[in-house]
Amino acid sequence: MNSAAEVSSPPRDAQSFRRRLIGFIAVGEVGVLAAMALLVAFFWLLEPAFLSERNIRAILNVVSFVGIIAIGQTILLVAGEFDLSVGSVAGLSAVVAAKLMTAAALPVGVGILGGIGVGALIGLLNGLIVVRLGIPAFIQTLGMLFIGQGLIQVVTGGYPVYPLPEAINTIGGTDLAFGLGWSFAFFIIAAVVADFVLRRTVLGRNMYATGGNKEVAHLVGINTSAYKIGAFITVGALSAIAGMFVMADLGSGGTSIGSGWELTVIAGVVVGGVSLFGGAGTVAGGVVGILMLKVVQSGLVVIGVNSNWQQIAVGVIMVMAVGLDIVRRRYFIAGA
Amino acid sequence: MSSTQAPLFSATAITKNFGGVQALRGVDFDVVPGEIHALLGQNGAGKSTLVKILNGVHPAGSYTGTVQLDGRPVSFASPADARSNGVGYVPQEIEVLEQLSVAENVFAGRTGLGDGVLVHQRRLEQRAAEIFADLGIDMDPRAYVASLTSAQRHLVMIARAIVLKPRVLMLDEPTASLSGTEVDALFSVLRRLKAQGVAMIYITHRLPEVLAICDRATVLRDGQVAVRIAREDFDAETFIFSMSGQRLQRLFPEHAAPVGAPAALEVRHLTVAGHGGAVHGAKDIDLSVAAGEIVGLAGLLGSGRSEILHGIYGRVPAEGEIHVGGQAVSIKSPRDARAAGIALLTEDRKRDGLLFNLPVGANITIGNLAPLSRHGVVRGGLERGAIVTAMRALNVKASSPQAAVTHLSGGNQQKLLFARVLMRAPKVLLLDEPTKGVDAATRHEIYRLVVELADKGVALLIVASELEELIGLCDRCLVVADGRIVDEFGRGEGGEGRVLRSVTKAQAERQAQVTA
Repeated sequence: MNSAAEVSSPPRDAQSFRRRLIGFIAVGEVGVLAAMALLVAFFWLLEPAFLSERNIRAILNVVSFVGIIAIGQTILLVAGEFDLSVGSVAGLSAVVAAKLMTAAALPVGVGILGGIGVGALIGLLNGLIVVRLGIPAFIQTLGMLFIGQGLIQVVTGGYPVYPLPEAINTIGGTDLAFGLGWSFAFFIIAAVVADFVLRRTVLGRNMYATGGNKEVAHLVGINTSAYKIGAFITVGALSAIAGMFVMADLGSGGTSIGSGWELTVIAGVVVGGVSLFGGAGTVAGGVVGILMLKVVQSGLVVIGVNSNWQQIAVGVIMVMAVGLDIVRRRYFIAGA
Repeated sequence: MSSTQAPLFSATAITKNFGGVQALRGVDFDVVPGEIHALLGQNGAGKSTLVKILNGVHPAGSYTGTVQLDGRPVSFASPADARSNGVGYVPQEIEVLEQLSVAENVFAGRTGLGDGVLVHQRRLEQRAAEIFADLGIDMDPRAYVASLTSAQRHLVMIARAIVLKPRVLMLDEPTASLSGTEVDALFSVLRRLKAQGVAMIYITHRLPEVLAICDRATVLRDGQVAVRIAREDFDAETFIFSMSGQRLQRLFPEHAAPVGAPAALEVRHLTVAGHGGAVHGAKDIDLSVAAGEIVGLAGLLGSGRSEILHGIYGRVPAEGEIHVGGQAVSIKSPRDARAAGIALLTEDRKRDGLLFNLPVGANITIGNLAPLSRHGVVRGGLERGAIVTAMRALNVKASSPQAAVTHLSGGNQQKLLFARVLMRAPKVLLLDEPTKGVDAATRHEIYRLVVELADKGVALLIVASELEELIGLCDRCLVVADGRIVDEFGRGEGGEGRVLRSVTKAQAERQAQVTA
């Protein structure tokens, strides 16, 4: 395999290096990373406690939950759709899993599978309705957001599911390294796998084609419906997993798990250069975008800014990031 | 009409360039009150450019020559400007607001009736009813446009143009979406307008209609007036001759149809449903293309020629049998067609050809990644090699495989798409307007490529609007009209004239059938 690659790839001269450099910058993660480095430095200068071990751990912990969903949302956005129901799905899956483990007294493994199943099923439903019936994703998934919220109340009767089996508390409480647990490990592994799939595999390439122009993708023989529905299922399942990690972290099947996440996730991945119009962006970018959003929120808290202003900052940053992205695209595409 | 009458609206010595290409070269054109003046010519002859100058789409200053209304020079800055000066235009495409009523559509853009911000619903309806009565159209102004047939919608658009009482009315292919009886209804409206002294310019491809209703005809060819004919000299043969006369000679690479080669593609009873309106679909098409043969589908826009290609490729639902290399295949989707060894190059690069979110290289390999990957993982080196080979073979000029496709010239974009469809070495290649929007040099490269592929045994089925190109390139031409194959001739057995004659004959027969 190596020899084949060497024979067919041209020598890496200066020009190809430059091309790689441009490609590197044009990918989009670099800009966000640079912006984040600046922000980190800014907050650290104002308040050195920002880079305290505890604060870093807190940021990474929060990022691991929403980040898991951001991975799925990025894949779905690349395929040309998006999902507003991710928060509801996270919450619903968590309480369903909790109920299965407690009220139904099923083994923990079955409960977890049940939770993932709920998420995947809702994803399948969203996908089928959007793709087959042609209802816009905005409407379908917004509807599903409300349906999910309602179902959470139906399942729980409005009370958190508590106590949970000891195994769940163990999952939530495990310290793998640096005070980070299973959710962070899962987040990193899932991000690496998803990034590889989008970048390097036929599946990933077909996903970009589907999101770039559905008709062209169809004409070159790609089953665009299957790709879109698959992406909806992926985001549903990942939302469920994120919801259950939060449940494990809290030690209870709370009814507010996931509430408000949908917009944070979309804002984050968009900040990371994932296009709302489909066919552009990477998982690495989306994940870095989420991280940056959380860095800003945390930074503002640490330097003592009123919490109301944090919301405003998030809004401003998202609009600015997309604006910068448009400028960058124009510049690099024009310069290529 | 007496030609002694002073022209109401005239264009003199109009010349218009599009980036070095002369679309119009010194065209004179005029129309007198109460006249229906046909504007004829093949695709690319300059008809639409002239119309766009006359109604202000190409504003004054972007062309040379003068346009006069009532003997006074006018320079329209926009279609709205032309309209307010009494020059109305009814476009070919139906542009109506479906959710609004007929009356609101007729007065679209001026529902205030000129006095304020409120919509006077009742007065709108009254005025619309008056206009309909005036034109002899039977239509309820309160009906919603969504419930109308395409013919009725066209009448609504004509009524909309009439609101401002234009003295000149341009109609662009007004019958393209109409059936025989609807055409009659339209004609009676035009006759009324004519009696009111409106000067009309009637753009069409359909000679029977010219013979039926027009008073004078101007034929454009290669951006010049080929001939101007008065009604008493009307004759279908004359029109065809002047539309198809000699043009700049183009060189086509030599190719001889293979003798006794097996049929690579056989199509039996292919039927593709039309979408209503201007798209006719295709009915009961039989055709076969031998390995190494180049076959052309000649016909007008909307004749169903593209639908035949789309039906074979599984892009649109189609009924009928398809055999590839003697084997019956079931094609339900492009995926099936590709598996059977069929490839399609689509007509519109921007809409259904290029992926603007992917770079040049990935645009070539999309859909072709299976042999360049292992266990679903793309092998970078292998892919790069395949891309470089394909770009060299087709002479795709891009700074690198990572370059953005937006910045390639039309010709290079087209070669890129050729590279994509050829990567799987198809046995049957369907080409829809393969030279549309490409420069002269690329055009020749594409001709050579087509012949080269045929020499290698690929069966080619080509749709092209430029008849000269199709006839020059193809071993055999099938003439398509109204979704049917109406004529067939081999290389050297016919020219543009034969195609136009066959189409006209088929249209006349159809019209006779409908009225009978």
